Amino acid sequence: MALVDNGGFYPETDTQQDVAGFMCDAMRTLGTVAVGVSEKELRWGVSALKAQVARSRIPLVCANLVDRSTRRPVFKPYVVEKIGRAKVGFFGLMSDKVDLGPSRDSLKVDEPAVVAQRLVDEMRKKGATVVVLLSQLGKVESEDLAAAVPGIDAVICGHNVPLIQKGRMVKNTVTSYGGEQGQYISRTLLTLDARGRVATGENESFMLGPEVGEKPEIVKLVKDFEDAFNEKLRKTEKERAAAAVTENSQATNHFLGADLCIRCHADQGEQWKTTSHSVAWQTLVDAKKDATPECIGCHVVGFRQPGGYQTGADAPRLVNVQCENCHGMGTRHEEYASSLRISPATCIQCHQGENDPEFNWDKKLPMIVHGNLSGETIAKKKSKGSSSMIKSTGSH
Amino acid sequence: MKDLASRFRAAAVLAILALLALAGANALSDSIQQPDKLVILSTTDAKGKTSPCG
Repeated sequence: MALVDNGGFYPETDTQQDVAGFMCDAMRTLGTVAVGVSEKELRWGVSALKAQVARSRIPLVCANLVDRSTRRPVFKPYVVEKIGRAKVGFFGLMSDKVDLGPSRDSLKVDEPAVVAQRLVDEMRKKGATVVVLLSQLGKVESEDLAAAVPGIDAVICGHNVPLIQKGRMVKNTVTSYGGEQGQYISRTLLTLDARGRVATGENESFMLGPEVGEKPEIVKLVKDFEDAFNEKLRKTEKERAAAAVTENSQATNHFLGADLCIRCHADQGEQWKTTSHSVAWQTLVDAKKDATPECIGCHVVGFRQPGGYQTGADAPRLVNVQCENCHGMGTRHEEYASSLRISPATCIQCHQGENDPEFNWDKKLPMIVHGNLSGETIAKKKSKGSSSMIKSTGSH
Repeated sequence: MKDLASRFRAAAVLAILALLALAGANALSDSIQQPDKLVILSTTDAKGKTSPCG
């Protein structure tokens, strides 16, 4: 069995830079045998990536990312590992159509197919009986390359590739489409002949749901990191918020908080308290994400906006999804009363993408609409349990 | 949110966690029991997701 990561594992926001190091450490701990590279890993420069690779000793491979001055690959082009009876060559390829960010002047990406053919031959000469490509070329280009370059037994397809549960054969190459953001794991099963070469191949991707077990040492690794990182973010947010308070104090229009709304709209306020919107903040606290800017916005009122949530000091008044999240800023009450209507657009500001991939407005709106006092959304949350970070399944 | 969505979110709680679990259990035992098979477990484009927002 071999465990690989196809690349694209770096976070997408600058505030999450510490996560980059953590991901490297985690892969090292897991014994990942090969790690691909995308332009995401270059977002803080190639020197920063090299430093992480050297520190964590992860086996990063990329065959076609080269230094413009030396024309040599920046990282190892491939690794060959003995796994069971097979000698497996893993190599990585990036797309030559991506922006290399701060490294664009010093690095370039060679044409993938040309490099692939050369590398396959080289690995075979070195005794590789199985060749696996970690591809950051996207779906179509990965498949085209598999069709054009003989000798690749399996391609792990990455770079905005949609999940396709069953991989397929492209000529003699089995392809994998494992989705993104760590929600799935893809399993490529290769049957070997007597010489350790691939006879048949198949692939399937599996969703990593709560039914999948956890390894205690990895759970601890994650928890220790997230505890420390959340604390660090909390301090940063506090400093930023202090500056924002002065700036926002001059704003005419601002958020007010539910307590003020409920003075006149008591019935609606009581009904709101029966919905999971009214306890949305606690799910962040439980998940130790209450200082993560990318998460906070959908769990408070008016994040970083005038009068809105700036820091933990605002928590008593402005946490949870309150009246103004749907109905607009309180100081514009008169204007909105006649013009603002709740629509799907209101909800999908938060209930979209990875937050809520199957959100259905027609089905969900009745569950929280004023008048529904069933408390069904909170009951649902409780039945799933949200106290543990790992088992946390509630949201908003 | 809802069941399936929640499961997706929970699933995002580190591919790595389950990677190890899967690697340590099914796939590894498969490969031990079936020496003519090679199992490659892979993740892609994890984008630094260590856990869901909540």
